[in-house]
Amino acid sequence: MAKKIEGYIKLQIPGGQANPSPPVGPALGQKGVNIMEFCKQFNARTSDKTGLIIPVVITVFSDKSFTFITKTPPAAVLLKKSLNIPKGSAEPNKVKVSKVTKDQLKEIASTKMPDLNANDIDHAMSMIAGTARSMGITVEE
Amino acid sequence: MEQYNQFEIILKPYNVDLVSGVLWELEISGITENEDKNSIMVYSKLNSNVNSYSVKTLLDSMRVQNLIESFEIIETSIENKNWNEEWEKKFSPVRIGKNFIVKPSFKDYQSTSDDIVITIDPKMSFGTGEHETTQLILEAIEKINFKGFRVLDVGTGTAILAIAAAKLGASSVTGIDNDEWCKLNGEENVELNGVKSIVEIKLCELHQLDNSQFDIILANINKHILIEISDLIFSRLKKPGILILSGLLISDQEGILKHYEAYSLNKIDILQKNEWIAMVLSQ
Repeated sequence: MAKKIEGYIKLQIPGGQANPSPPVGPALGQKGVNIMEFCKQFNARTSDKTGLIIPVVITVFSDKSFTFITKTPPAAVLLKKSLNIPKGSAEPNKVKVSKVTKDQLKEIASTKMPDLNANDIDHAMSMIAGTARSMGITVEE
Repeated sequence: MEQYNQFEIILKPYNVDLVSGVLWELEISGITENEDKNSIMVYSKLNSNVNSYSVKTLLDSMRVQNLIESFEIIETSIENKNWNEEWEKKFSPVRIGKNFIVKPSFKDYQSTSDDIVITIDPKMSFGTGEHETTQLILEAIEKINFKGFRVLDVGTGTAILAIAAAKLGASSVTGIDNDEWCKLNGEENVELNGVKSIVEIKLCELHQLDNSQFDIILANINKHILIEISDLIFSRLKKPGILILSGLLISDQEGILKHYEAYSLNKIDILQKNEWIAMVLSQ
């Protein structure tokens, strides 16, 4: 018989670096999940993405066991990584901090595609371009 | 213990990908998403440069750009306590390999003469015996003669492996971890098992340890770190010596083996349980 699902926990933490401090500790602790076991599994599965922000959805079952899936990093995080910039612009309309090429947009859109409500890659690229503009990143036409 | 700031941010509209991508520009440690309440919880260490003002400034700039309509921030301070208390209540004695029994101090177990009982109160450290990676390495060390040997346990956590090595006859065991919880919890568990004269727990990284060498090194961590610290591990291993690695997925096997064989270490055994493996190497 399938196990009964008690709830879901959604977190964003750096890959390969989960530890029992907040947010992992309070979020999993109040559901009675073994925090250290989650950290071990998460760090093993994301050890090749150390430091990259990874959203994770944890399914908690009524016997306190759990499974989890990882999602793609936020678009802004992928843009900053691809363009090697620490942050977006505080005044995106006036001050530009970088420029993203079509190829870079396509690569980020392909990465994000599984988690976007996009019909196709062009739609996904336009969504990522929107995020880029809001960060003061010029989008190559 | 370190204190944290918690910022609950109620968003309208609830666009987590957009807002969180920007919040990660601050020195935060993580985010919890609460879709039901249209809010996210953002955590930062109390001694970081994150405060209500820096969070508000970022969100204000998003509001000016019409990326969000409105937001509300509720700031609270929380202590980094033992969040694992709820889970610990259901932690029961577990048999591992042929003779090891791992149990919490608050549960009784009627042992037989062959049993090697390890008492562990895990709190916020790793190594309860419930996880495959700990089980595999305990099964591996059960087959090894520890009598009179010096042992190093890298990433000792609850000190479960260090205690096991002491109970198998090691002459001295050094357990190291870079986490403050592990130092405190490891020492508590060493005391509970009556092996204080053999096991020493140190709060440090491997490169901070004195120049001692060890006959047997145990490391239950993960692929990335085991590759990163391989030079240090090898330099601490006596020749001949035994190295046991765990915390590895089946998919890590080829990469790890190739990496460590370059140190002239030979594969003795590979143990597997579900998706996890442990590796015994020697030279």
